Amino acid sequence: MKKFGRGMATIMFGFGYGEGFPDHSIASIEIKEDERIVIRTAAADVGQGVITTVIQIAAEILRINPNYFEVVQGDTHKTKNSGSTSATRQTYFTGNAVKKAAEDMLANLYHYGSLEFRSNHPEIAIEDGRIYMYDDPDDYISYWEMAERVKERGEKLEAEGSFFPVTYSPDENGQADKVYVAYTFLSQVIDIEIDTDTGTIDLLDVYSAIDLGKAINPKNVEGQIEGGTVQGLGMGMMEDQVIRNGKTLNAGMTDYLVPTSVDVPKFKHYLVEEEDSEGPFGAKGVGEPTLIAAAPALANAVYDAIGVRFFELPISPSKIKKALKEKEKEENS
Amino acid sequence: MQITITVNGAKRELEVTPYTRLLDLLREDLGLTGVKEGCGKGECGACTVIMNGELTASCLVPAPQADQAEIVTVEGLGTKDDLHPIQESFVEAGAVQCGYCIPGMVLASKRLLDEKPKPTEKEVRYGLSGNICRCTGYAKIIDAVMLAADKLAVEGSDSND
Ligand code: FES
Ligand code: FES
Repeated sequence: MKKFGRGMATIMFGFGYGEGFPDHSIASIEIKEDERIVIRTAAADVGQGVITTVIQIAAEILRINPNYFEVVQGDTHKTKNSGSTSATRQTYFTGNAVKKAAEDMLANLYHYGSLEFRSNHPEIAIEDGRIYMYDDPDDYISYWEMAERVKERGEKLEAEGSFFPVTYSPDENGQADKVYVAYTFLSQVIDIEIDTDTGTIDLLDVYSAIDLGKAINPKNVEGQIEGGTVQGLGMGMMEDQVIRNGKTLNAGMTDYLVPTSVDVPKFKHYLVEEEDSEGPFGAKGVGEPTLIAAAPALANAVYDAIGVRFFELPISPSKIKKALKEKEKEENS
Repeated sequence: MQITITVNGAKRELEVTPYTRLLDLLREDLGLTGVKEGCGKGECGACTVIMNGELTASCLVPAPQADQAEIVTVEGLGTKDDLHPIQESFVEAGAVQCGYCIPGMVLASKRLLDEKPKPTEKEVRYGLSGNICRCTGYAKIIDAVMLAADKLAVEGSDSND
């Protein structure tokens, strides 16, 4: 028999290292004469999309098409420290560092613009890679020409930004002013169907509402939610490392199962954009929080479907079948 | 020993040992690094190529077995400036994260769409089920294949006109 179940879980996640640990990111931007804008950051993109994110941020501040950007990343010879890609921190930390570098660059464009046009900042317009006087848009200097002219002055059209937020270690009661830079919240509802004969769980739908401050790239955010949730569901229903006498007995994908395309549910996302006061354009981190609610929501859905509480993961078909048998015995006695 | 294989349309004569894996031949000797090694034992699909029209785990194929075979790797589909509609769809759907599984996914999609130009979502899911992705949760990869099916259908009808 198939039994439907719906479960929900809500989590909060403080991101960045927090607790007073020195956590920062440094980035720089250079405008080149050959129509390139180079961002330098050590932030590692492991697929989560930090490179896309920082380009979007810099392009927005510098009012120019993102296609002109190039990112030099993760080279200790060419980039300064951005901290690790961990703790759900890169969008927030490196996003802010790049935003500050871009703002400094914009200030430089105004500064050199006012020197070139012999005028003041309020008279000057900057848009689409052009610097001009408001009343004469046709007489413009492109960013690239400006880079050339700055070079002729013996300087470089470059800027740097860093982000060094302060956090505090909690006291003996677990309290402090600011333990983490900010918190991401996520609620998930998961619908499942359990086959009571085989004990298998069919994942139907997952509804996720995430308070992420601002989705700088909504598609990347959805990708993070889907990927994290599927990892959490894998942990919830199949991933089981079997260790005996210090040895992993199932170190391979034939016996350590992870979800495949056949297993995954359908998704619906609700992005709650309550801007964070310190995040770049209000954004908060979304990586790790997307994994946490899945297993508890699944366990609640299982309870809703068959009335059994599980306190150990994964909730495998054999465990479900065993629990159903025990339940039947109890009800009959 | 000497074998002859056709890789991405080009015929090659190659000197191999009996225990060279097709995977290493493609990556090391021919520089086709779009073929990835994940598990090395036929479980993950990262090393997928299309060999004589079938999806094949190149980590399990001794090179001599590929003698006279016709092989397509992801490099044979499109170039960076001229993407194959399937690759284009992966980009548009946001289906790529770390990218490690993607060459295999793209080839599995190609094999599926060659056989079933208008697959149902369920057929797409089964068509990709031999390829493991740890990043995306598959949802956007499935979207990408559905999108590619639409694109290829439009292209096909154009060329018929
Ligand atoms: S590397 Fe060949 S299937 Fe995993
Ligand atoms: S995109 Fe990373 S494994 Fe699929």
